[in-house]
Amino acid sequence: MKMRHAIPFFLLLILAAAPVTAAPPAPVDQIRQTVDAVIALLKNKGMDRQERREQLSALVRARFDFEVMSQWALGKNWRSASPQERSRFISLFSDLLEETYVGRIEDYTDEAVVYLGEKRDGERAEVETQVLSGNTDIPIRYKVRLKGEEWFVYDVVIEEVSLVRNFRSSYDEIIRKEGMGGLLKKMEEKILELRNSKGGEKG
Amino acid sequence: MVRITGRTALLLILPFLAGCLAGKPAPTDPPLPPALENAGEENPEEGDLPDDLLLELEEEMETVHIADPIEPLNRGIFWVNDKLYFYLFKPVAKALRVIPEPARKSVGKAFDNIGAPVRVANCVLQAKMECATTELGRFVLNSTVGLGGLFDPARGEGLEPHDEDFGQTLGVYGLGQGFYLVLPVLGPSSLRDGIGKGVDGFGDPLRYLLGTGEAIGAKVAERENWLSLDKDSYESIKKEALDPYLTIRNGYVQRREGQVGK
Repeated sequence: MKMRHAIPFFLLLILAAAPVTAAPPAPVDQIRQTVDAVIALLKNKGMDRQERREQLSALVRARFDFEVMSQWALGKNWRSASPQERSRFISLFSDLLEETYVGRIEDYTDEAVVYLGEKRDGERAEVETQVLSGNTDIPIRYKVRLKGEEWFVYDVVIEEVSLVRNFRSSYDEIIRKEGMGGLLKKMEEKILELRNSKGGEKG
Repeated sequence: MVRITGRTALLLILPFLAGCLAGKPAPTDPPLPPALENAGEENPEEGDLPDDLLLELEEEMETVHIADPIEPLNRGIFWVNDKLYFYLFKPVAKALRVIPEPARKSVGKAFDNIGAPVRVANCVLQAKMECATTELGRFVLNSTVGLGGLFDPARGEGLEPHDEDFGQTLGVYGLGQGFYLVLPVLGPSSLRDGIGKGVDGFGDPLRYLLGTGEAIGAKVAERENWLSLDKDSYESIKKEALDPYLTIRNGYVQRREGQVGK
């Protein structure tokens, strides 16, 4: 008897909730989703290494806007790069950035990540988090940009150090000395080296 | 990794600094080669950003440069520090890990607490009164109720730590970094921050409570204790970076700039 009333009531609730979900989700919620999933994967020590690697990669790639980050990492040099160089760079940089980001999270995350809140400015936002680690609490800020219904990360700032600006400064110097070809070659070698060393987990 | 230098104020560096001061002045960065303005424009890629966002972000993503006129020397010291890290400091830190982590964290807090007077002084010099009173409150509370700083009851009272040093004070008054400096043992620094460290060293209570040798010993102990708690972040940076020297140099500059801006 009671069920009969309960079902239409639920339907009503769902209908009432529908227009609300149409608004873009909060940046902090989307970051939380990704970061929590990354940490859960990193903590799952029993998992097959190859499988974990693939899942981590999928998570990060779904949330990071590697194309935009690539443009910023090259700065001025983006404009002078040929289309082939650009797409080569995007692919290499995505790999390296993924390694770096996951590496940082793995290093710093002991217990928990605290989500301190967000600052929104139209299509852009910043999500403040804090990683509780051995020595201190490390502030990590995600800069995100709205594309359609999703917020995409275009920079990660760890303890005041922007990853993209950090890459940009190094790459700029490498390009100045060795040219775009030299940079791409270095990146290829580094990725190979990282892949090969992944066999042994550090103790 | 940038934290590697920590707040370690040392007298060791003064003779070295004096040498650097006498060295050649810092030239500005050589100009970048002119970008081939039109190269990419005929064939805009799918991934290109709309122009307005490009402009908006241009400033935000601008790299910070630091002059590095003694780069070959810096790289040499960087190399030596790297060896010292792997063959001396890190093995000692690893051995320390037999001590339970909570104990090492407490020791770290106590060392941090000893640095409070210097932080208070720098807050005052920067006319940051909230910072000064908070750090002073932390020092009083943690030194007493917190048993000489082993515990941090002040934090529970809402007194959050501030990180201030004389390098930042100079920065607040508009002094630039000068040029990049890799200090032996202590790691990344700059002319300004190196001088700052020397000045902060004079405010270090340990210097007056202990002899010079013991004070240096205490600094080494602080450093080793910190390293034992660190999760090998230097190793990761070194492994991932195309050129760790450049990565760490820029990381240092960005971080210091961020601290000065706070």
